Amino acid sequence: MNGIQGCPHIAALVGLGDLASGPLRKFQEVVAWEARRAQQAKTVGATRKKVSIPFCSTCKVPLPRPFVCLHCSYAGCWRSGHVSEHLQESQHIFCADVTTGSIFCSECKDFIYHARVDELYRAAVVTEEEKQTRFQVAKKPRERFQSWVPTAHDVVALENAATIPCQRRRGLLNLGQTCFMNVVLQCFIHNPLLRNYFLGDKHNNRQCKIEEDCTCCEMDKLFAEIFSDEPTAFGPVTFLVTTWRKSTELAGYQQQDAHEFFISTLNNIHSSSRGSTNISCNCIVHSTFAGQLQSDVVCERCGNETSTVDPMLDISLELRGKPGEVLAGENTLTTCLKRYTQREKLGSKQYSCSKCGKSGQEASKRMSIRKLPPVLSFQFKRFEHKGDKSVSRKIDTRVRFPAILDMAPFTTHVMKNAEKENSNGSMSAYPGPITMYEYDLFAVINHEGQINNGHYTNYARYEDEWYRFDDDKVTAASLGSVLASPAYMCFYVKRHLDYKPYTTPSYVLKRENEVAREKEIEREKELSSIKELEDALLATV
Amino acid sequence: MPPAAATPAELDALQAQLTQRLLESGEWDRIKFVLAAKLNDSGWTDDMRNRSKERARTIEPLSFNALLEEMLPPAQTSIPLAIRRDVIALIRGYIDQQIE
Repeated sequence: MNGIQGCPHIAALVGLGDLASGPLRKFQEVVAWEARRAQQAKTVGATRKKVSIPFCSTCKVPLPRPFVCLHCSYAGCWRSGHVSEHLQESQHIFCADVTTGSIFCSECKDFIYHARVDELYRAAVVTEEEKQTRFQVAKKPRERFQSWVPTAHDVVALENAATIPCQRRRGLLNLGQTCFMNVVLQCFIHNPLLRNYFLGDKHNNRQCKIEEDCTCCEMDKLFAEIFSDEPTAFGPVTFLVTTWRKSTELAGYQQQDAHEFFISTLNNIHSSSRGSTNISCNCIVHSTFAGQLQSDVVCERCGNETSTVDPMLDISLELRGKPGEVLAGENTLTTCLKRYTQREKLGSKQYSCSKCGKSGQEASKRMSIRKLPPVLSFQFKRFEHKGDKSVSRKIDTRVRFPAILDMAPFTTHVMKNAEKENSNGSMSAYPGPITMYEYDLFAVINHEGQINNGHYTNYARYEDEWYRFDDDKVTAASLGSVLASPAYMCFYVKRHLDYKPYTTPSYVLKRENEVAREKEIEREKELSSIKELEDALLATV
Repeated sequence: MPPAAATPAELDALQAQLTQRLLESGEWDRIKFVLAAKLNDSGWTDDMRNRSKERARTIEPLSFNALLEEMLPPAQTSIPLAIRRDVIALIRGYIDQQIE
């Protein structure tokens, strides 16, 4: 891998197998301990209990950031060099930073990385988190995550499969003002949930029963192209044609709005997904993007509160407050979200209270996110529309957005807790571990220029590396350039996925029903043809 | 009556005791959470992550200690004053509660 050598000492340890290796087992225990301690620290403040903490075995001070030896019970400070001294003196090789799960090798004299250790770290953290969270609605515990283990059938299939090299970063040809489509497609390609779904062959375009204009088939073909061994740019011609036929409002060679194309394509993927339903759908679009927004309206007179819940696939944010509103500081994604979820007065003509019966009452409304989706998409409303569809102008204000986003302060649950306890921004208001609310940025769509002669480009991340996509041109990029770009849309993915208690997906149930029905029809046909034969024979007797 | 000056050893012991209380009560974690959130909101965290990563591409020979030595001073000096002030106030508030 570019001449970078891994640490041979950790490789040897991993080679022994997880459970045989004492240090790796200790590593997992220590990581789990820290996850439990962090959760305890959240809740202990209200009680007189104390969290048990480690002390440095050398200098006896309490350790806010313990480093533990993986070979013995030593724990110590990093900064003052005590843990390094211990490793030298006792000839122990590895110590771990409990807070981050980073492992230091005293032979290599550096922090080291091994993919297996990374897996063990995440498995230990997620297992602890699963124990700490219950579902709000059913009070049931989270579904335990299980690593994929290939079945005998899978092993054979894998052995017979040919591996091909793939660049995975392919540009998309501009087919005539189609940069609006290219940027959205790149954001789909780099969306881990969509990628896994289509690479996992969940919708095979050769077996699909839909005769024409199936957007799922187009997605399947797109992923096959991106993950092929062809490195040059690809022209998504059939995708464009299907889009024109399914969404006629987007047809034609003029520039379209990327957000419109995004929503339109999500709807087309949903409707061409097997087993998709109109209510509580769990097709790939809804499983990935669907969240819930709650709107609470409070009558100022009698305090009666009514709540409505609406589904959402993305969040569109205003860049400007209402006239007369004081904007604090610079424009950031967080301030936009604060504005989105702040309490606002409704005009007296808009509301009549069902409880105190008076119409024309003063009332206030507040939006919050009731359910967070695995992928959060944000659109900044940059294009001001006047009455009809014609756009009057573009708002170019720069918005600063983070690589890591904590959505807890905007969720219904936390907002209600915070109101009750009067504690703003306090983590004790978060039910469950903090990572449940954390999102990582993975794609950004930029728009430059004016409304009618602008150009779309995008950034997207694969694991730790960012790339810039300008139609067919793909270049490496830094996080700094991503965060400084003129963003129109931002895509975030949840750090850890939380699974609810398992229920068979509707498309599987539907398929099982179809198969059962087909078998039944076959059986009846057989029976009736046997009967015909018998009747014919009897007639000849 | 002005307090008697404490020796360095006494100050060390006091600091250890305060650290212990902060950790055992969970207050350390709460303050750290506020600090991390403010730093992230201000863009400092992303800036440090970006600078460290880009520097790591070119630093030779690459090691954690080499990178830390280079990145720690600008990290400390670039913390926005308002955040530094707010968090110190939180810590001071806790200490005032603990000490008669």
